[in-house]
Amino acid sequence: MKTPTLPPTTTLLRDARTWLLQGRLPITTAIALLLATLFANLVVADNFLTAFNIRSIFANVIPLAAVAVGQTVIVLGRGIDLSIGVIATLSSVVTVSVVEPWGLPAALLAGLATGAACGLVNGLLVAIVRLQPIVATFATSFVWAGLALYVLPPGTAAAPRMPDVIVLGYRDTLLGIPNAAWLLLLIGLSWLVLKRTRLLRHVYAVGGDEQAAFATGVRVARVQVLTYVIGGAYAAIGSFAMLANSGSADALAGGGLTLASIAALVIGGTRLSGGAGGAGGTIIGVLVLQLLTSLLVALRPPTDVRQLIDGLLVILALALAGLWSGRRRGR
Amino acid sequence: MAFLEMRGVDKRYGGVVALDDASLSAERGEVHGLLGANGSGKSTLNKILTGVVAPDRASIEVDGADTRIDRPQDAHHRGISAVFQELSLVPDLSVTANIVLAFESTRLGFVQRRRDRERAAALLERFAPAFHGNTLPLQAPVGSLSPGEQQIVEIAKAIAREPDILVLDEATASLYSAQVEVVSAVVRELRAAGALVLFTSHRLGEIYDLCDRATVLRNGAVAGAVELAETTEAELVELMVGSVTAPAQEVVEGRGAASLEAARDVPRLEVEGLTTDRLQDISCRVAAGEVLGLGGLAGQGQSALLNALFGAVRIRGGSVTIDGQPALPRRPKQAVDHGIALVPGNRGREGLFPVRPILENLTVPSMRGRARFGVLSDAAERAAAVRAGEQLQIKYGSLDDGVMTLSGGNQQKVVVGKWLLTDPRVVLLDDPTKGIDVRAKAELYEVITALTEQGVAVLLNSSDDDELLALSHRVLVFFEGRVVSELSGNELTRDRLVADSLQVAAT
Repeated sequence: MKTPTLPPTTTLLRDARTWLLQGRLPITTAIALLLATLFANLVVADNFLTAFNIRSIFANVIPLAAVAVGQTVIVLGRGIDLSIGVIATLSSVVTVSVVEPWGLPAALLAGLATGAACGLVNGLLVAIVRLQPIVATFATSFVWAGLALYVLPPGTAAAPRMPDVIVLGYRDTLLGIPNAAWLLLLIGLSWLVLKRTRLLRHVYAVGGDEQAAFATGVRVARVQVLTYVIGGAYAAIGSFAMLANSGSADALAGGGLTLASIAALVIGGTRLSGGAGGAGGTIIGVLVLQLLTSLLVALRPPTDVRQLIDGLLVILALALAGLWSGRRRGR
Repeated sequence: MAFLEMRGVDKRYGGVVALDDASLSAERGEVHGLLGANGSGKSTLNKILTGVVAPDRASIEVDGADTRIDRPQDAHHRGISAVFQELSLVPDLSVTANIVLAFESTRLGFVQRRRDRERAAALLERFAPAFHGNTLPLQAPVGSLSPGEQQIVEIAKAIAREPDILVLDEATASLYSAQVEVVSAVVRELRAAGALVLFTSHRLGEIYDLCDRATVLRNGAVAGAVELAETTEAELVELMVGSVTAPAQEVVEGRGAASLEAARDVPRLEVEGLTTDRLQDISCRVAAGEVLGLGGLAGQGQSALLNALFGAVRIRGGSVTIDGQPALPRRPKQAVDHGIALVPGNRGREGLFPVRPILENLTVPSMRGRARFGVLSDAAERAAAVRAGEQLQIKYGSLDDGVMTLSGGNQQKVVVGKWLLTDPRVVLLDDPTKGIDVRAKAELYEVITALTEQGVAVLLNSSDDDELLALSHRVLVFFEGRVVSELSGNELTRDRLVADSLQVAAT
């Protein structure tokens, strides 16, 4: 029986393809963007390198960083959570409301449980009831917002506050480095730990090819539900940073974090259809967004165009990622 | 009592019987061949055993114990793993991660990457001769490997599960001969270790080389179980075809062979040396009013030729002319402009707009010719649709009904009808009767006759060998992307078709 003979393998070509498939190009782009925004800030803002400014940049970046890492886990498993910013809001009002009677540790646990429970509901709706992730989580975002207003109506006379030790500690430094920067490091480390679990391996498999993962024996629905639970828990951690940063909670804040979290992970090179990327890139994306904001502040545009420019930046980031994945498909 | 006993296996897809009281019995320490012509049900039987397809009725016993297999996980738990031609690898994950997927070595939930790498390396070590002695790059994403390399990873992945029963369904199809030898050696090792390997291949040489016994299926039932050492290739083909060949359905009466002979001097469609990733040097001529059949075992290049002629895949070389004019299409749009129409096999996904009404489904490809300044007249659209409906005798309530309200056969007529309105010169039919019932089939045969009467050149790919023989004036037999023979006149018999499909000398 005639069969063709084996051709020699070409390692150079394979190395190039490997490099592309492993998605090194997006992360390289993200690092370049980070350096560019950093440089622009140094040129434009004369107070950029002051200790106060650096502290406040880190203080402002933590809520988004935590939420965006959570969103990354969900997107890697081919999902998306449009309620994740509002989960952070709900978790923050729950935490601040019980901190007085229950004490700090119990309050943090309550906030964490709130975030995880919201994620569980989202995950069950998506993986078990099989609703479209975008529709299901957009709908639940209104439920979480309603619950937040119920727990802490705006304009309450004696609004509860976080203990001073938290608020002051958040802006303090340790070994000359802002505590918020240490927190960012912890969030990054938590991702490195998470990434080594069997669960995250299965998240990548489900996001990469759901059918193949199922046929191989991966419990697809269970994996997807757990990504939303993890995402909700990270949103709760983000909410603690929000509380520490401002001292109190606002039932109407937090919604903007959702879109920013998606923009950050896209800038960081995570594929929106799942299976490729990671939270390392997302954290770089968060820093890029924060540096762009501080650049805007330094340029002192009229406040009414701030929101417009923010929106355009997000669209620009998404469009760049879209062009990139489009080219990949066209290969 | 054999180690694996499958009995009374029934499976229907709609009105089509895939398996009818099929059975299979095989022992540990055996490589068991599973053979059959197109539509004999061998793939369905494999998929039922591995939980990919749910049977209507089946009794499966493994090692004397009744076994229910509803999902792939159930098969994994029973020690059954499988390699199909369609792969189940995740392209973004590394070779190692794919091999150990869902069976990772873990400690406290953490993947022990070094142990997994060692496991994968040990497994792939056995396949190293398949790659000039190099082991595959364990860290590289599977998507960066060649198709043959991916196939080896898939086989390694199945073996990593240390199966009692290993199903290899055309698992060697995309491999080079040196690689096939390596896989064969691994299969023999598994047999020596007491595993049962079920082996399906379109290369009879591999079957004889590896298998001890074989079960031959015909029309969804067992035609015989044989000792291969005592059976010639010719006898195998006879079992696959059956001694009483069903009388060929003479659907196309009076093929007008004489007039076609004359017309062939000026072919409507002429293909010279067409080469793509999956086709090698295909040449053929089709006259106006002729039906050229594309035969062979499923997936040997028949669909690939139709897709190439429709401009849906990249063409590496060769020429295509229609009525003497060059017509090599780079995109489907160009093919349509040249007067080529394609009726795809998967009509739900590629042939219809499922949520739109019958009217639009019929008129969309030909709209441009009727539009004035980009505006369509409702009356002209309806008239065109009614014309196509009458010509093909499509049975519908109203043109405004959703197209999915039609029966399968009538849906298929809509797919043909929308191209009729473009006045095609060449019609490509890609397994058009797959999954539709007998009466709808007969109606579609009339449509094909109507097309030829209009002088259309028809290329017909069919996985139903009887249908192919009855409808075609000539049949090209495909094997691994090449045309291995052309059958015409009194060579158009099932014996010849099956024998040539398997490259066995004619009986």
